[in-house]
Amino acid sequence: MSQSAQSHLTLILDLSPKQWHLSSLEPDGQALSLLSFITQVLAFMNSHLALRHENTISVLGAFPRKSVMLYSTPGANDSGLDSTAPQDANTYQPFKTVDTIVSSRIMEEMESISDSIDSPTGLVGALSKGLCHINRVINPATRSSIESSSPLDPRMLILSVSPDMSTSYIPIMNTIFAAQKLKVKIDVCKIFGEDNVFLQQAAHLTGGSYVALMQRNALLQYLVMCFLASSSLRKIVAFPTHDRVDLRAACFCHKDIVDIGYVCSVCLSIFCSPVPVCSTCRTKFPVKTLRRFGFGPPKAVGNGTSKSGSATPQ
Amino acid sequence: MAEHALLPFLRAQSQNSLTRLYGRPSACLSVSRLLQPLEQQIVMSLLWLEAPVAMASISSWTLPTKDAQRQWEAAIGSLNSLHLISETRGAIDLNPMFRAGLRTAILGGGTHQSFGVPCDKSDKEGKDGKRGAVTIDFLDKHASQKWETILHYMVSSGTEQGMKPSEGVLYLLRNGGLMSSATPSTITSKGFQFLLRPPHAQLWDLLSQFLQMSEDRGMDLVEVLSFLFMLSTMELGQDYFTEFLTETQEVMLEDLRDYGLVYQRKAKSKRFHPTRLATTLTSSLPPLLSSSMKGSSLESNPAGGTPDSQGFIIIETNYRLYAYTDNPLQVAVLNLFVALKSRFPNLVVGALSRESVKRALDNGITADQIISYLTTHAHPMMRKNNPIISSTVQDQIRIWENERNRVRTEEGYLYNDFRTERDYQDVLQYARQLGMVVWESDAKKIFFGRLAGHENIRSFISRRTQSGM
Repeated sequence: MSQSAQSHLTLILDLSPKQWHLSSLEPDGQALSLLSFITQVLAFMNSHLALRHENTISVLGAFPRKSVMLYSTPGANDSGLDSTAPQDANTYQPFKTVDTIVSSRIMEEMESISDSIDSPTGLVGALSKGLCHINRVINPATRSSIESSSPLDPRMLILSVSPDMSTSYIPIMNTIFAAQKLKVKIDVCKIFGEDNVFLQQAAHLTGGSYVALMQRNALLQYLVMCFLASSSLRKIVAFPTHDRVDLRAACFCHKDIVDIGYVCSVCLSIFCSPVPVCSTCRTKFPVKTLRRFGFGPPKAVGNGTSKSGSATPQ
Repeated sequence: MAEHALLPFLRAQSQNSLTRLYGRPSACLSVSRLLQPLEQQIVMSLLWLEAPVAMASISSWTLPTKDAQRQWEAAIGSLNSLHLISETRGAIDLNPMFRAGLRTAILGGGTHQSFGVPCDKSDKEGKDGKRGAVTIDFLDKHASQKWETILHYMVSSGTEQGMKPSEGVLYLLRNGGLMSSATPSTITSKGFQFLLRPPHAQLWDLLSQFLQMSEDRGMDLVEVLSFLFMLSTMELGQDYFTEFLTETQEVMLEDLRDYGLVYQRKAKSKRFHPTRLATTLTSSLPPLLSSSMKGSSLESNPAGGTPDSQGFIIIETNYRLYAYTDNPLQVAVLNLFVALKSRFPNLVVGALSRESVKRALDNGITADQIISYLTTHAHPMMRKNNPIISSTVQDQIRIWENERNRVRTEEGYLYNDFRTERDYQDVLQYARQLGMVVWESDAKKIFFGRLAGHENIRSFISRRTQSGM
């Protein structure tokens, strides 16, 4: 079993008011309101902190058009007094601090949302902020012998309710590669809505798990059983894996998810239909090849595949 | 990861007292922190379920590999022995008291007050005015000073220079066999080993000793344990009221104050501050080392800057040792196995020699302990090496240890003066069957047998002589 005691969890909450409203209207006891979601997530966060004294957490919220860092454990394991929450003999203080800050910050942000309820959430922003934060946590500015000797085990968990946004394909892929490089596992829990193609890929490529909630009222149990364990435990305990991952990519021209695409032979950009000139690297494609694809005058090159793993360098 | 020092002690407790202990949310939280990751995962998975889970469905939680199955069974067995889970009719369930306790701990609420009753901040300012400034720095200093007094007393073996720990501590040290009970008491070989252990292990060594002692004193162990667990969940820098403690716990407070786990302004004070020693009880990081490091990590310190915080020892392949420290305790500990040559304001120079290491070995310190001490306190520059301590030095220390083992002593009897070769062979054969032969010489017809086998061999010989006659 791993010697590393400490683990860092970055939690990304998808807080799209529209989706949560739809979620609370689901029939047949499947409804999950934002409030009960937050309660269960807070319990999950406390469980993570309960496992080890040194465990740290940071929570990011993806709101419409913006992403906000809701909470992050101060320092590595510095237990300075936080004056925001009054002491209470019946609660473990770190739990209370986290809970109060996170729930009050969410409420604050929710109230400040006015006209942009429909806008897509800033999931990508939250992802990259989370990765930046992880990078800072694992590479502290002042390297000390003790910290470097106890390796952190950073993980990321996305609780998603919003549907795919094909416009964010490229930024999401970029964050996935950043996460791979940092050796951060991205876990995804799809709480509401259709399966999310890009997030499936994120989990698949970083070695995390993607779980679509079947029984939405048992959210906490799902979270604890699938996402609480650190990566060292995943060699022992059986965790849900996704045998069928949707690896489709989105084209660069219309941001549509495509089954068969055309890939630029120079820069590997993906297009839904042959184009004469690559919009990314300005490469001109020979007319002869374009004809081969059954397109009349100037059209583009490519070998259509649905394996978009080749769409971007690994 | 090694098992926590407290768990064997908890296992030895009766189911009744453990269940009583689990009645307190803070204890549940702390106990669950002491568990191994896999055990924690099992507990957490069961925590929110209302009904027992069938054994068959639980075993599908692990991967079907042999290694995983083995670890899984070990984890279940360990949880069972702590009475955290129970098996009835092929189904596993969490101890109901523990489940309720841990749930309360995680969700908050209730009126159990098991996390300690904190003093109101406004109240403190009103009463004490400016004196209310018990800062974290102050607490850290206080704790490490108390703790080092104890260690320093041990290492100087009662040849007092400087402060002497209180009677309670001395009693504990003697009782635990770390110091001999003669007066003036001297450090025992167990005590030497204790000095070289990492600080966190030392703390728990002493506390398990304390638990043992409080059991002998007839204190209620559940009270004692739950107070320790309460301390471990308290907030550093916050002060707490003593009036909500039970009588047993107030008695403990006095002892813990001597060890530096809590701080009270006056002996009769109505409030107490837990120090970092106390709040990191269930953590696995060295409590005080990291604390002083935190304070100084902001300033970029030159190599070997804060000596007592991070590693400070450089050892070269020629056995020379440089220790960047001015801490008398560390110098004294090093002096146990290093021949110190010169001393500068922030540096001690010495060398590992055969004599110095042999002296340490004579004191009961093992080679592994020396090596692990050098490794844990190695200077950051040393940490770039792999292995951290060069293998020449490590091997040499081990060889010195092996030198001591050239002669083995064994108590027994020498059998000689056999009349005939056959007598000798028969008796030897018999002794061999018993596995009691240490050494034999066919030429001289003598052999050496262990003490334990003497009765049998003697009666065998007399039986033989009688029947032979």
